[in-house]
Amino acid sequence: MAQEVLLPKLGLTMEEGTIVEWVAKAGDVVKSGDVLLVIGTDKVDAEVEAEGDGRFEPVVAAGTSHPPGALIAWLLQGDEQPPDHPSEAKVIAQAAPAAGDVGELQLTGPAARAEVGAAAPGGRLLASPNAKRIAAEQGIDLRALRGSGPGGRIVSEDVEEALASAPAGPAVAASAEAVPSGGVASPLVRRHAAALGVDLSRVSGSGLGGRIRRADVAAAAGAAAEIPAAVPAAAGPKAGTVIPMTGMRAAIARNMHASLQEMAQLTHGYEAEVGALLALRDHLKREWAGTGLRVPTINDFVVRAAAHALLEHPVLNATVRDDGIHLLEEVHVGVAVAIPDGLVVPVIRDADRRGLVDIAEQTQELAATARAGKLTLTQLEGATFVVTALGSYGVDFFTPVVNPGNTGILGVGRIRDGVRWEGEVPHRTSVLTLSLSFDHRAVDGAPAAEFLRTVSGLLARPHLLLAG
Amino acid sequence: MDQAGGTATATGDVPTVEGFGADDLLDLHRRMVRIRIFETEAGRLMESGLLPGFLHLYVGQEAVAAGAMATLTDADQITSTHRGHGHAVAKGAKFRPMFAELFGRVDGYCHGRGGSMHINDLSIGMLGANGIVGAGLPIAVGAAFASWYRNDGGIAMTFFGDGASNIGAFHEAANMAAVLKLPVVFVCENNGYAEFTPQAKHMLLTDVADRAASYGMPSEVCDGMDAIAVRQACQRAVDRARAGEGPTLVEAKTYRYYDHQGVKGLRRPYRTEEEVEAWKKRDAIELLEARAAADGVADADAFARIWEETWADSADAIAFAQASPQPDPSTVTRNVYSD
Amino acid sequence: MAVRELTYVKAYNEALQQVMREDENVFVVGEDVAGYGGVFRMYDGLLEEFGDRRMIDTPISEMAIVGLGVGAASRGLRPVVDIMFMDFLAVCLDQVVNQAAKMKFMFGGEVRVPMVVTVASGAGLSAGAQHSQSLEAWLAHTPGLKVAMPSSAYDAKGLMVTAVRDDNPVIMMLNKKLLGAKGDVPEEPYAIPFGEAATLREGTDVTVVALGRMAVEAVAAAEQLAGEGISVEVIDPRTVQPLDTETIVASARKTNRIVVVHEAVTFGGLGAEISAQIQETAFDYLDAPVMRVGAPFSPVPFSPVLENTYVPDRATIADGCRRILKRS
Repeated sequence: MAQEVLLPKLGLTMEEGTIVEWVAKAGDVVKSGDVLLVIGTDKVDAEVEAEGDGRFEPVVAAGTSHPPGALIAWLLQGDEQPPDHPSEAKVIAQAAPAAGDVGELQLTGPAARAEVGAAAPGGRLLASPNAKRIAAEQGIDLRALRGSGPGGRIVSEDVEEALASAPAGPAVAASAEAVPSGGVASPLVRRHAAALGVDLSRVSGSGLGGRIRRADVAAAAGAAAEIPAAVPAAAGPKAGTVIPMTGMRAAIARNMHASLQEMAQLTHGYEAEVGALLALRDHLKREWAGTGLRVPTINDFVVRAAAHALLEHPVLNATVRDDGIHLLEEVHVGVAVAIPDGLVVPVIRDADRRGLVDIAEQTQELAATARAGKLTLTQLEGATFVVTALGSYGVDFFTPVVNPGNTGILGVGRIRDGVRWEGEVPHRTSVLTLSLSFDHRAVDGAPAAEFLRTVSGLLARPHLLLAG
Repeated sequence: MDQAGGTATATGDVPTVEGFGADDLLDLHRRMVRIRIFETEAGRLMESGLLPGFLHLYVGQEAVAAGAMATLTDADQITSTHRGHGHAVAKGAKFRPMFAELFGRVDGYCHGRGGSMHINDLSIGMLGANGIVGAGLPIAVGAAFASWYRNDGGIAMTFFGDGASNIGAFHEAANMAAVLKLPVVFVCENNGYAEFTPQAKHMLLTDVADRAASYGMPSEVCDGMDAIAVRQACQRAVDRARAGEGPTLVEAKTYRYYDHQGVKGLRRPYRTEEEVEAWKKRDAIELLEARAAADGVADADAFARIWEETWADSADAIAFAQASPQPDPSTVTRNVYSD
Repeated sequence: MAVRELTYVKAYNEALQQVMREDENVFVVGEDVAGYGGVFRMYDGLLEEFGDRRMIDTPISEMAIVGLGVGAASRGLRPVVDIMFMDFLAVCLDQVVNQAAKMKFMFGGEVRVPMVVTVASGAGLSAGAQHSQSLEAWLAHTPGLKVAMPSSAYDAKGLMVTAVRDDNPVIMMLNKKLLGAKGDVPEEPYAIPFGEAATLREGTDVTVVALGRMAVEAVAAAEQLAGEGISVEVIDPRTVQPLDTETIVASARKTNRIVVVHEAVTFGGLGAEISAQIQETAFDYLDAPVMRVGAPFSPVPFSPVLENTYVPDRATIADGCRRILKRS
């Protein structure tokens, strides 16, 4: 008489268990008390013993997850066959939570569901090529999506629906030149990643169009492990409020981490004299009062100076690919804007060709749009360099993180009093600290310093920036 | 040989040298010698491993091609078989592009694309040798149709062996030509073998010519080792065709000295040495030379000169062929379609 | 330029009549083409107009018929060879595949074979296994041949004009179930270029690439599906050799889901070739594997109940579209 083996319920709150490993093999003859399998829950792994004698026939695969009470195997007598003999090919393809995705860290993004991305037994992500392409272009994490295609495959509609319901769009979307995380990967590369336990959504592709190559997977496997999961609640202090990793938060976390993992980043600090600059601004404020002309902010001057300097130091307006450092022909400067609970970086396109007033008008408009939460994808894409300012917060020197795909980012600190010595005579002046973080894979210390010298040189003679 | 065709003067029933002038005899001789030398040299090159692929050689059967082509002009069309060098040469094809094609070079008749079995020269009415047994017969019927359609006075002649007379295409083509009364001459070169199988084992009839009656077509049998006899028989058929009387089947009994392919070929015996020697005793070229000498119509010097010129021509052509460039691999898909 | 309604077979007949008037070298040869006007009425009226020099009735000898065409074409005439049923090409495949298709190549370019072989193909008339096949896969696979599959009266005339004027051997695959289908046909001769697909219907959700008569079925399926809120793009390649891959791939990139349908058996049919070409060039744009809808792997059955199951139709095409779009 065939006996069912059901997934046991371990503990009051268990909602599903994963078949971590089949200890008994199909066809084994087992006795009551023999260990059949190891199941895993979010709390604990446990062995499950046979409750009778018989020939063991599992009906689900290792790695799959099921609710308690689900049929997972049979104990059969003689050569009887199981009553409903499911074909091997149709083993349930349900998500296995990835190692490290423990309870509290929930991705409650736009497509937040209990299940994570469609994965076949073994952790393989099922997504159509088109879905992958769009996800890569839009910076969407496929593992956060539930697939509605056959076999739970993620199709492009799933990605588009996720995009449509995302708040304020994905932050720091991939630039046209930047290499997005989670790029397109061929079936072979996906297998390779699965074998090495690499999360493809965290891998930057160095191939054509951001394609992830085997070398990228190998590098990621060799690199540090995933984002450390929150400590399970079972040990350590009790958690109070939980801030979910929403679309933008998760994207920032992912991109910042990826940037630091991928590049050899460091930061130079440089004191720039801005006395003349302040004087010029005061002058302009008086002159242009009532004209409607926007007086450029200090930041606007920095953006213009940086755009100019990038023409002289092209290695800071570049992107690192597998085949080399690609010096980019266009200069698009992103300007970081703080918004409630986050940060966006709208882009001033062709900043090298815009006049100062033009830049000033652009930054004002973009910042306003950003705060209203209405930036479009085009406005967020394509930055080749970023300028970010913390001066208004009182910060002098800081270490901004280079936007993935760029080779440099320029931080602007607060304006403070400084001293300039002429012989033995001190003169009061105004200075601010420029903080240039750069990717040492492409840019060495000296060229980085040269760039800063150029920028500060332009800031010291601001009338040059006013022209053209 | 600038132009095919002789004086076509003989009308008698008994093939004799009288009635054929020296020019006619030398013309027949030249065609046969050119075939003999070309094929001998091709065989030598092939069995030395210098030529890619394999050849089917006409040595021994020269009288049939020579006698038949002597009745045709450049405006008349022929289709041939896998054993087509003899027909091509007799129709007036040049040695240089023929050898170049055998070597697979760009200066070959097919620019290296076809090889031995697809040698063709449309400018002299040679519509190609063919690798499929019997396939040339329906095509020749089509060529004859074109002449009938245009009323241009041209005819078509097609060659096939005793073996090919068993294939469906032969029967269809023969019947079609007869029913539509097209100007085509079917020349069967009966060399007694269908590849390696003797005639008695592949058909019950002795004369392929008997099959013509099944289609209401007249036929005749002639001695395929006698160029004059072949010429006269073909002339009668050609005259009928030109007169709009429809097709005729001419069967020439002949023999090939070499194997089905190559010279010694696969070297598996299926014929006796005695048989081969017996036929060689009736060698067509020797026969013509002897009779012409005996009747005093043409002299040995004239014949010797033809041999000499032809050897020189052959040597020149082989050197030319070997110096001709190989085809450029990047052109491999050229000429699949006409623009 | 008057346009009027003609049947598919009449459009073919008109094409032939017009090219025979324009070019003296065009003639027709085949069984029962002259006196009888062709078993499918394709050659009605032509004997009267052009006489028995240009309209030739032959014995039942497919090898000789096609061979006659090959020989005549190599001499500069432009034969239209009628082989009645496509299935009979098997009887004379040597002349088509080894002779006509290859002569130009084997002869190093020195000859042309401007011949059209007209055949009636397709199932649905209880004609049985040896009179119902669609064998375009054999012929499209043969370098040197061109293959046309008109799906409408308009296409039948335009493709036939091009076929006769083309200097290559062309297999003109008429569909016997479409012979009576009516459509608007301009009076004057016009040539539809080979290698140019027709987009019969624009859509955004799924592309259906349909060969021959299946194009008609696909349009009907699209109309049905429009009522269900599904937008179907229908592409009719019109010729399968040469094949307009560019149009098909552009559509694939647009809709991301493709169904290829043909009457021919699915295994080894041209759906496989089209599918391979799509995935080679538009892999990253696919939301689903390319779906093929074709006949099952058996000869065409006789009984109407069986034949209806066997031959794809608007219902099976619509069903395929729904399946490829299915989301849970």
